[in-house]
Amino acid sequence: MIKGLLLLLVMQAAGALLQLLYLPMLPGPVIGLLLLLVFLLLLGRIPACLEQVSVVLFQYLPLLLAVPATGILLGGDVLLTQLPAISGALLFSLLLCIPLCGWLMQRLIGDKRGCLIRCCRSYTRRSPRSR
Amino acid sequence: MPDPLLQVIHSPVTAIALTLAAFLCAIWLYRRSGWLVLQPVLVTMLIIIAGIRLLGLEYQAYREAVLPISWLLGPATVALAVPLYRNLRRIRQTLWPVILTLLVGGVAIVALTLLFAYWLGADLPVLMTLATKSVTMPIAMPLAEQLGGIAALAAVLVMLTGVAGTAMLPPLLNLCGVQHPAARGMAYGMNAHAVGTARALEEGDECGAFAALAMGALGAMTAVLLPLAVLLLKATLGW
Repeated sequence: MIKGLLLLLVMQAAGALLQLLYLPMLPGPVIGLLLLLVFLLLLGRIPACLEQVSVVLFQYLPLLLAVPATGILLGGDVLLTQLPAISGALLFSLLLCIPLCGWLMQRLIGDKRGCLIRCCRSYTRRSPRSR
Repeated sequence: MPDPLLQVIHSPVTAIALTLAAFLCAIWLYRRSGWLVLQPVLVTMLIIIAGIRLLGLEYQAYREAVLPISWLLGPATVALAVPLYRNLRRIRQTLWPVILTLLVGGVAIVALTLLFAYWLGADLPVLMTLATKSVTMPIAMPLAEQLGGIAALAAVLVMLTGVAGTAMLPPLLNLCGVQHPAARGMAYGMNAHAVGTARALEEGDECGAFAALAMGALGAMTAVLLPLAVLLLKATLGW
């Protein structure tokens, strides 16, 4: 577990270094993610220590995200003065883009599962008649 | 001599205890109600804010006190490489759908948000900030600044989008018949970045992997393409 955490931290530190040197537009942890992916590809398997620590970290991801989310306390002034425009734009665009992204991806990959369900349904619909 | 009770309230122990207690309450509520609008991130955040206000804590002091918790977000982000690696074969099979969805969806997210905000009367700095709202926070803040937006507001908008999006995503996807875990994951990662990815991991490994992929790729894409698009737009409109 500690070994896994150390591996994550080493990757994050390397990512931070790369960010400072070459990639100012990408955050260090995201570069670290790519580095770890390359490392796993080279290794060809997921070490048990890494598996353990990632399970624990993902379990508490909402807790880790809630702390920066409280930053909402700071940017409140501009938000309040233009609240209708901002909240309206956020909600409307989510309302349209969520179905768009999901539907588009599902259409593009051919929705094998959906086809399967449809096939099963038509089969069960047909079977009583054929009996 | 300061009041001993006050001294304890303003010590880091109270801040950390408040954060953990808020998380436990939120998880309990989420499991008991089974109601997706009660996102753990949202409820934890609200309880913490209420706690900060009630106890009269300084916000900056609170953030410093909970550093032992919040530094783990970095390693947790790096660890997203694990589900990505585990589902690499699935991702490779669907490379073109992923790229197309990222491009079309990414453009639609920024364009529709700006269109609605402009129509509802937002001013230019707010528009430039809104353009970054679907990108994970460490990318969104410097990007908003670069575009002429407001970094602090960007952080707020990103969190609002993540929390509102994660509450809206499951019912909307079910309504539209999106059942494939890869398609659901893409929608989670693109519309609600990290908060959506946390929720996608709850649905399963494949869903989480595609959400992490969508979040990272959309973030990188936006960081590179959005400044170019804004430059072009400003040149053509003569701002």
